[in-house]
Parts: sequence; structure tokens; C-alpha cells
Amino acid sequence: MRARFRQLKFLFHDPALLLVVLLILGFLGLFVVLPLFKVLQNSFYYKGVFTPQYFLEFFSGHRYVIRPFLNSLIVAVLVAGLSTLLGFIFAFADVRANIPGRRVFRWIATLPIISPPFIMALAAILLLGHNGLITFFMRKYFGISWNIYGLPGLILTETFAFFPLSFLIMEGVLGNIDPALEESALDLGASKLRTFLRVTLPLATPGIAGSLLLVFTRSLEDFGNPIIIQGRFPVLTTQIYLAITGMYDVPLGATLSIVLLVPTVLAFVVQRYWLSRKSYISVTGRPSTAGPPRVSSGARWFLFGTVFILSSFILLFYGMVIFGSFTKLWGIDNSLTLDNYRYVFTVGIQYLSNSLKLAAIATGIGGLLGITVAYIVTRKRIMLQGLMDFLAMVNFAVPGIVIGIGYILAFNTPPIQLTGTAAIIILIFISQRMPVVVRDGVAMLQQLDPVIDEASSDLGAGFFRTFTRIVLPLVSPALIAGMAYMFAACITSISAVVMVVSPKWYLVTVALLSQVDIGALSIAAAYGTVIILVVLGAIISMDIVVKSLLQRGFSRLGK
Amino acid sequence: MKKVIVSVLLLGIALVSLAEKKVLHVYTALDVDEAKIYIEAFEATHPDIDVQWVRLSAGEVLARLRAEAGKPQASLWFGGPSDTYIVAKMDGLLEPYTESLGWQYLDKKFKDPEGYWVGIYLGFIGFVTNKDFLEKHGIEPPDSWYDLLDPVFKGELSMAYPYTSGTGYTRLATLVFLMGEDKALEFEKKLSEQIHHYTRAGSACVTEVGLGEVAGGIAFAHDIIAKGIAKGYPVVLSFPKEGTGYEVGGMALLKGGPELELAKIFYDWMLSAEAQSLFKKWYRLPLNPEAELAEGLVTADQLPLVDYDALWAAQNRDRLIERWREVTGY
Repeated sequence: MRARFRQLKFLFHDPALLLVVLLILGFLGLFVVLPLFKVLQNSFYYKGVFTPQYFLEFFSGHRYVIRPFLNSLIVAVLVAGLSTLLGFIFAFADVRANIPGRRVFRWIATLPIISPPFIMALAAILLLGHNGLITFFMRKYFGISWNIYGLPGLILTETFAFFPLSFLIMEGVLGNIDPALEESALDLGASKLRTFLRVTLPLATPGIAGSLLLVFTRSLEDFGNPIIIQGRFPVLTTQIYLAITGMYDVPLGATLSIVLLVPTVLAFVVQRYWLSRKSYISVTGRPSTAGPPRVSSGARWFLFGTVFILSSFILLFYGMVIFGSFTKLWGIDNSLTLDNYRYVFTVGIQYLSNSLKLAAIATGIGGLLGITVAYIVTRKRIMLQGLMDFLAMVNFAVPGIVIGIGYILAFNTPPIQLTGTAAIIILIFISQRMPVVVRDGVAMLQQLDPVIDEASSDLGAGFFRTFTRIVLPLVSPALIAGMAYMFAACITSISAVVMVVSPKWYLVTVALLSQVDIGALSIAAAYGTVIILVVLGAIISMDIVVKSLLQRGFSRLGK
Repeated sequence: MKKVIVSVLLLGIALVSLAEKKVLHVYTALDVDEAKIYIEAFEATHPDIDVQWVRLSAGEVLARLRAEAGKPQASLWFGGPSDTYIVAKMDGLLEPYTESLGWQYLDKKFKDPEGYWVGIYLGFIGFVTNKDFLEKHGIEPPDSWYDLLDPVFKGELSMAYPYTSGTGYTRLATLVFLMGEDKALEFEKKLSEQIHHYTRAGSACVTEVGLGEVAGGIAFAHDIIAKGIAKGYPVVLSFPKEGTGYEVGGMALLKGGPELELAKIFYDWMLSAEAQSLFKKWYRLPLNPEAELAEGLVTADQLPLVDYDALWAAQNRDRLIERWREVTGY
């Protein structure tokens, strides 16, 4: 109680900080909490009367309500398992087996993280659909044919889209395991397999659990792949979309949203507040000098083979999109042409420039806001800190489609009417993507010694001065990196904004989707290629800027 | 760093606030490639007006107008069957307009008596099938609704959801007028077991059939000709002998729209013979008697038609769709 009082007093001593804290909480309350509250509220109201009717119907089992829920769970469980397995193999090959070409493989594996997720579904149709390259070959020479739409297509595309996340997690976890532990086991006479099963695997368990949960969530909230390739296997996100955009059945859409929200937020909370405490970090107090233990050469080649085949498939998927973008009429006339790009740069240029503009504005505001939140959360012992942290991060776990519905429900009518404006898209971008910046900012700030900015405060600098003169310059590399990823995420975003695009503010991802809808796969592929190039450009220029910043920083330190 | 952020912000604000010429916002349920034809022609004759538009299927336009609750982002909606327009009128989402010359020449079958919507074309439901598929299985193009239940088409058909798509709802209502409600829903249930997947847009199946992704589909005849046959896809158009349904394609001003005066200019233009002559590019049947017709056009006297009651179809839309979802599970 007393401590709380002291915090309060402290806040009042620094009115600038107080103002910033209140403004941020107000912003988060309005643009994060209110939309979610509206979704919850609408799931319980039917024609103005409070009733749990749709939940009752849900549990009594309307086929068109319960089936998408079960389908979503099936897909999410399978994709989480497969992605984690592949991610583990990739990471193990990279960290432990030191396979040849690991840098190239690593680069390939991170490609899906920055590209729009639905690129996978588009590529899968170009490659494995009825007129797909592989389908054609298999039918002609082996007489085999299949149907990629539905469960198989969903598993394939989502695994390719999300296993890189598992890879990055597993890479971090395996990299943190002190090889000395494995060496000791080997020295004590355990076989390589036994060492792997009894030492490495248990130590990696928290990472495996984390990866399972993260991919499970990502698969549940994926919209881009299912809307293209779900066939007769409807999942929750697409049914929510249809309920709202096809029927404006708000109670149904809101109820399905809550049904989707419960498992994703649960997974998020478990991962963030429970699992993170369970990590077995095998810090020995001294830098480990032991090299990675050698796996048997058989295992090494098995790992290499797996990674090689998988990477080839990823490249083939991207190659297919690029090739498809140069064909005249995919499946009928595969002669090469530039017409699709002519289309994208005449009709589509307006949508592309909308996406770029709005993403740039959102990234500017979101970056500044995110780093401020990260700073307050890591440095300032204030009341409501945990709340601010949770509110700023929660949309990490909230499926985009739910955010989209929330915005429609909250901002369609006065007092705050934003429908059809650029603002609603910018605000969705910020509230959906800012968590990336917050997370990166917190990670960076935790590495910086608080003494530095405390010194500034002690010398009498207020919140603003300390923040702008000391903190921002120090975290700028992390901030720029976070902002570049936020920009990329905004450009490739579809699930939330597909609900709110207007004639005036139409976006390039939605344009791509509408081309897939009418079967214009070549034009869709051209849109996809352009989006990937824009995103790659943003990430690469960020990389250059950050490197030069770091070098400048180091050379200054050197003097 | 601060400078970078500030300049990014300023640049953004500057870009957003760039002033433009008079802008008209439009929703259309026509195919993107088709809507472009009319909108570009309109802009060419009205250089001071810039049309910004979104394509949505008819059911999606209706859903969006309901969501926008009297504050629509667009001022005009064209394309899509009149049933959906009648529902929108009943929901109080449309703005009446009777001064247009076009409204006065039109037969009363083709317009709302109070001017809430007006017809611009006629369309007939037909079947589209892939030629190669027919040859491979040695069968004729389907000429009965029941042909679609043939096991050969199992998992090989594509058509639109009745709630997102005007084409889809016209199909459902046509079956109700043909068979009676219960039998029609039973038929749709069997049809749903033949389905490869449902689409949101009514004309999407034409391309899918053309590409061979599926063997057959149900769509409007003009879409089948324009997007399939005329584009060179190996597809056949056929009609059910029991009778088929039709639409009066509509157009309306949106109540509370931001630029209704500009919308009236588009409305008048769209009813003109000049504009409706452009329909021949998409093999649509115009309602302006002076408009030029395309060759190979499907007209009403060539087909057995059901007695399609658009008003009944509109009044029972929400209920029929709920029943449809119940029996099919989609």
C-alpha cells in the first residue's frame, strides 16, 4: 500500500510521464479494449435483448456453427505438430549438425515469415491445383490425381507458412543449451541417441511447447490461406468473415469470434505467463567453449536431406508465384507476358500506394508509441504497469478477423465514426502490429543498463528529455528493426482490414484476394510478387540502416 | 531518429491530404473486369468526375449497407439481382429517384414503383460445363436440374453461396418457384454433396470450370459467355429444360450517401442507350430499348422460364437462407 502510494507520488512529480501514461492507457482502452468488448457484448445480444442464444445454439450443435470450430481445431493441432517437428529438424541441423550451406537454408526458412501468408495457398494452387505443374506431371506420367482443396491444402500451406516460427524458437532454445551437458553425457558413456533423448530433448521441451502453442494460435487465426484453399472444409475465420460480410449476422459473427478468441488467448497467456518461467536455461557462469557435439554422419546427412528437400519446396513455391505472374492465362495459355504487371501498375497502383501510405503512417505512430510503452513497462515502476503491458501485447493473440469485427462494431456509428476513413485502417494496423515493436523494444531495453537513464533522471532531466535524448538514441537500432517488421506486417496484413476497406481506401492484399476469387491467378501472382518485393526491400534497407547505425555507434565508442 | 519519425509522419499527412477532383464512390456487384468497362466509359464522358469503386457480391453489398447503418461510404450501387435491392429498400437503405428519364421509359416490371431502384439489364441462370470433362466421360451437357445430381459430377461442381451472391440466391429462389420450398431445399442439400466448394462471387465458377478446377457450375448466362466462351475457355452453356430463373439487374441511390448529386449523373448515364450499348461487351441483355445488342445474346423467348416473383424472393430471403444453411451446413 505504501509502495503504491509512493509510486503515485512519483507519478505526480513527473507530470509529463503522468500525461503520457494516461494518454497511452486512453488510447489502448479506446482502440484495443473497446472493440473487443463490443464483440463480447454483441455475442450476447440478439435483436437488443440479452441472451446467450447463440452460445446455446453453439453447444446444442448447429452444424454450420460447430463444424468450423472442430475443423479449425483439427487443422491447428496438425499444423502445430508438423511445424514444430520441421522447425526442430531445421534448427537441429543448423545449430547442432553444422550442415553445409546452413546460412542459405536459414535465409530460405525465414522467407515465409515476412511474406504474406496467403502466398502459400496461391502457390499451392499453381503447383498442385488441377492445372498445377506437379499435378500435370503426375497425371501425365503416373495417372495419379488429387484434390488439393480442403484439409490437405490447409495443412500443407499453413505448415509452410508457420514452420519458420518454430524454427526460430527452436534455434534460440537449442543455441542456449550448453553443449557441455551433452558432452558430459557422451563422456559418461551414453550413446548419441540416448544423449539426444535424455538430455537434449528434455532441455528443449519448453521451446517445443512454446512453438506448439504459437503455431497453434497462428493456424487458428489464419484467414488468407483458408479463404483461398479451404474447399469444403470451412474453418472459423472464414465463417466469421462470411457471417459479417455475407449476411451481416452480427450475433453469429461475434459468437464465433468469442469461440475463436478463447483458445488463442488461452494459448497466449500460457505461453507468456507460465511457460516463460519454466525455461531451463543452462547457464554455467562461464562462456561455453565446447564445440557442438558431432552427430553421426548418417544423422547429419539425413538432416541435410530433409532440410534440402524442404527448402527446395519453399523456393519452388515462391518460384511458382513469380513464374505464374508472367503467364498469360494460367492453366490455358501459359505463354509469357508482361500484361499482368501492366495491370498491377495501372489498375492496382492506387491500391498499392494506399497500402504503402497507410502502413507508413501506422508504422511511424506505432513505432513511437510502442517504444514508449516498452520504456515505461521496463523502466518505470508505476501503478497499472502490468495492465499497460497486457493491453499493449494482447492483440498479439487476438485474431485479426476478430479485431476487424470489433472495429466495425465499435466505430461504425457515432460518437466515434471511422468507417470508410483512412484512420480506421491506420488504427487497426497500429493496434494489431504494435506488439512487435513493444516486444523488440522490451528485449532491447532489458539489455541496457538502467543506470544510464537513471543517471539522466538524477541529473534532473524530466521524462521527455530522458526519453528523447537518452533512450531513443540507444534503442534506435532495435526500434528501426521493429518498425521495419511492423511495416512489412501492415503491408501483408489482410484478415483485420478485409472487413473495413472502402472504395476510397482499398488495399493491395484485398485486391489480390479478389483476383483469386474470380480465378485470375496470373494477376494475383503479379500482385503477390510485387508485395513480396516491397517487403523484401523494406527489410533489406532496414538491415543496411541498422548496420550503419551500429557501426557508427561502435566507432564513437572507440573514440 | 526523431527527425526520421517526424518526417515520415509529415510525409504521410501530406500524401493523405492531397486534394483531388470530384469523387463519386460506388459499390458494384458486377465482375471487376466488367465494371471497369462502364466506369471508364463514364469517366471518359465526365472528365470532372473520378469514380472510386469496390466490387462486392450482391449479398455482400447488402450486408455492408446494413453494417453501415444509414451512413454508407458510397452513393450508388449497380449490378446484382433486384431481390437484393428490394430487401435493401425494405430495410430503408435506398434513396428514391424518379426524375430520371430512364425511370420513366421503363416497363413497370423492371423498376420499383416508388423509384427506389431501377432495372438496367436482364440475366438468365444457366449451367456451365467443361468440354474436356464432357468428352472424357462421354456425356452431353446437363439439360435438367437433376442432371447435376449425376454421380459423375460428385465433388466436381462449383457455385455461389446464396447469402453472399445474388447469383446464388437467384438459383435458390428459382428452385423454390420450380419445386416448392421443401423439395427445393432437399434438392440443394443433395447438390451440396456434389459440391467441390462454394464461392462468394456468382461468376467465379465460370473461370474455375474453364480452368478445369471443377467440371461444372451454375451462373448467369451472360457471365458464362463473357468470362468463359468469349475468353476462349473450353466451356459449354446449357439450360435446364424444367425452366430457369432470371434476374432484373438493378441500380439504386444509397440513402445517406456522401455525393448523391454526382450519383444521379451516373444513374442517368447508366440508363442511356449509349451506356447500355456497352452491355454487349459482356453479352448482357439491356433494358433500354434503343441500346445495341450483342450477337449470340440469350433472350427470354428462347428459354423456358419459371414464374420468378422477385418481391416474394426478397421478402423471404433471410428465412430461406437460414433454412438453406440449416440443411446444407455451409
